[in-house]
Amino acid sequence: MIPDTVYGAILLSVIDFFLSFVVISGIGFVLSLFPYLNRLGEIDEKKLREGGH
Amino acid sequence: MFDQILFFFNALLQQTGAANFTFGNLVMIAIGGTMIYLAIAKHYEPLLLIGIGFSCIVANVPGPPDVPGGPPVSALLYVVKEGGLFHYAYEGVAKLIIPPLIFLGVGAMTDFGPMIANPKLVILGAGAHLGIFVALILAKLCGFTINEAGAIGIIGGADGPMAIFVTVKLAPHLLGPISVAAYSYMALMPMIQPPVMRLLTNPAERKIEMAQIRKVSKLEKIVFPAVIAIIVNLFFPPVAPLITMLMLGNLLKEVGVTERLAKTAGGALMNIIIIILTVAIGSTMAADKFLNWDTILIVVLGLLAFLFGTASGVVTAKIMNLFMKVKINPLIGSAGIASVPIAARVSHIVANQENPHNHLIFHAMGPNLAGVFGTAISGGIMLALLGVN
Repeated sequence: MIPDTVYGAILLSVIDFFLSFVVISGIGFVLSLFPYLNRLGEIDEKKLREGGH
Repeated sequence: MFDQILFFFNALLQQTGAANFTFGNLVMIAIGGTMIYLAIAKHYEPLLLIGIGFSCIVANVPGPPDVPGGPPVSALLYVVKEGGLFHYAYEGVAKLIIPPLIFLGVGAMTDFGPMIANPKLVILGAGAHLGIFVALILAKLCGFTINEAGAIGIIGGADGPMAIFVTVKLAPHLLGPISVAAYSYMALMPMIQPPVMRLLTNPAERKIEMAQIRKVSKLEKIVFPAVIAIIVNLFFPPVAPLITMLMLGNLLKEVGVTERLAKTAGGALMNIIIIILTVAIGSTMAADKFLNWDTILIVVLGLLAFLFGTASGVVTAKIMNLFMKVKINPLIGSAGIASVPIAARVSHIVANQENPHNHLIFHAMGPNLAGVFGTAISGGIMLALLGVN
């Protein structure tokens, strides 16, 4: 897909660097929604540990 | 009779390594010794450097030739040869069994709370990866193929298992030098990063204290691994084995009902894997294989990747400060390079030296953990663009 040349290396770098920012921003956006999960209720950590093995 | 005694002595000498000792062996033994010194005296990642340094020394103590008239083979390489213990240890690395197990252990030991608590800082996990692409382009300019250049570039992700994973997929013949460069520089980050961080920041910036991060609930921490595993498996199947295991390890830790498994994954299993991995890596450092131009170029390019990655992380944090009402300490930017938790510790130490009341460790852990995903994303996109599954 990418030519084995210096131009190909630059192309690969630009696309990869740009997409990395886009994807990690997407993960950041998903994480910014996490506080809303707490509206579903609270987990009792003590009870969790009691059920452990 | 005297001639006969001399002949037997000479034959005996040829059966030892002394007759085959080279200057290159001496150089590599000095490098192995330096690694052990740094681990003991400076406490630079002893878990990694002791094993790599020791096996580097032993790999450079030549034994007799394997076949009459052939090249000398070190005692360690005898056990690396097929049938020997470390042959299978190295195969575990080369066949990508060990890297996912390392990620399982890392996940079981890691609290992703700092990353969940401050999603804005996640962007630093991408910002600190410019080094990958600088090294990639320079490697291509040096005459490496694009696949080799990609594998060399990923050293800048400062993530050992990911560097191994991508290298095995793109350029398996470079696994030895790339894994040595990646793990050595990760261990030496307390030496490599601070000068760049100080160069790009002023004392006022280094003194910035950050507000306490919010407490992340247990529910959020339990949902996190499943959500990330779905995203990565959906969009980045080439690197899914590593991130899936990382998230499984983290789920074992967070659910609270599998404490035994989490302890094993992050404790005993992880320790065994570290011993195997470090010896497998160090055993590739024999002078005849290691001291050549390609390896030296890889080591230099790896260093440049780390330097540019550190710099781009700090610069990204400074750019973010232009748009943020509450300023962040730009030193946490360099932690986005991954290498958990070494890079976060370096950010904390440099800030603490400037302002003894400044405790950046939890703030730096956010970008540091995001850096793991940043490297995985960069590696995944690279593999996809190069047509490798």
